[in-house]
Amino acid sequence: MSIETIAELDREEMRVLLAETVDADLTEVTDDADFVKTLAVDSLMALEVIVVLERRYGVKFSESEMRSVRTLRSAHELVSAKLRGRP
Amino acid sequence: MIGPASVRSMLPHRYPMLLVDRILEVGEPDFVRTVKAVTINEPWYSRLGPDASEADLAYPEFLLIESWTQTAGILAKQIARSAADGQIMLFGSMNDVEFHRPVFPGDLVEHHARLYRALNDTMIFEGTSRVGAEPVLTVGRMTMAFRPGELLSSARAGQSGSQ
Amino acid sequence: MTSPVLAERRVERLEFDDLSGKWSATVSVSINADEPVFAGHYPDFPIFPGVCVLECVRRGAEVAAPADAGILRLAAVESTRFTSAVYPGDVLSIELQWAQRGLDWRCSARVGTDRGPAASVRLRYQPEEAS
Repeated sequence: MSIETIAELDREEMRVLLAETVDADLTEVTDDADFVKTLAVDSLMALEVIVVLERRYGVKFSESEMRSVRTLRSAHELVSAKLRGRP
Repeated sequence: MIGPASVRSMLPHRYPMLLVDRILEVGEPDFVRTVKAVTINEPWYSRLGPDASEADLAYPEFLLIESWTQTAGILAKQIARSAADGQIMLFGSMNDVEFHRPVFPGDLVEHHARLYRALNDTMIFEGTSRVGAEPVLTVGRMTMAFRPGELLSSARAGQSGSQ
Repeated sequence: MTSPVLAERRVERLEFDDLSGKWSATVSVSINADEPVFAGHYPDFPIFPGVCVLECVRRGAEVAAPADAGILRLAAVESTRFTSAVYPGDVLSIELQWAQRGLDWRCSARVGTDRGPAASVRLRYQPEEAS
């Protein structure tokens, strides 16, 4: 992936993907809405979020990274960092 | 842990919903292969009239999914081992499950399931089912978890419970 | 096709929306204790299997199938999520909607009992090829 496409890792596209995965309205998935507290994501859904992100963006999360993905913002930051090659 | 006896010891399901006949292989360590023989003697077929067509004899698609899911459940049980004792296996979600062709009595369905990812008590599986060399079902991903049985009993009592 | 579920479906509402061009329906299914699947799912602990909830959705979807779609074949479960268990005596209320997607059709459904949501389902159907 080129530098330009990385810079454009589209937050809105990720919002749509996450909303679909957790079965929430797009408006509920704000940048800082906590998946577990605000969006009622249980541990089953939390693992699905990880797998959906991994498959969509071709990245792989470690166990501690999986636990750190709690909001759209943290997911976006982590995936961006991974795509830039410095986790 | 192969053969028909271990199917009964690893799954709580019983007639008419025990839909795996034999474990062929559990190993790798995240892979399982089982077989399910579809017969015209299964109870679903007894409800058909004397003039049922061949199309009427197609095996219900969702029972094929159940059979695959039980296969994944055997692998889940094998991975969780004693941590799953006394717990109930919950089937949370499935995505991208495709049917390729109908299955009929006399078909021997071979299920393959692989652990794709696990975190704590939650696991995601993927796999395929075939008759001979022909794919009949592919499962993109299926999420499963072990939870204490009390959770389900409390839901039954009408209290809130996420599962 | 035969079915693992005995319960009859009851169509409560069937509508075509001119504006959106979509068919929608409400279907209810009473899950009685005499459903044969309960004997083995599980002995002494009857839970209506998730796949049987899907079967109820399929049968509901097929009564409300778009009139102009021709013969449709179930091609995929695009997604399904089970949020609470279904027990003997529950009545499933299924809200479903059909929409065309390219050549295929999608049926989206939400299933509830009187305790709240039980499942959400998206099924994909393909037109049967004329032979």
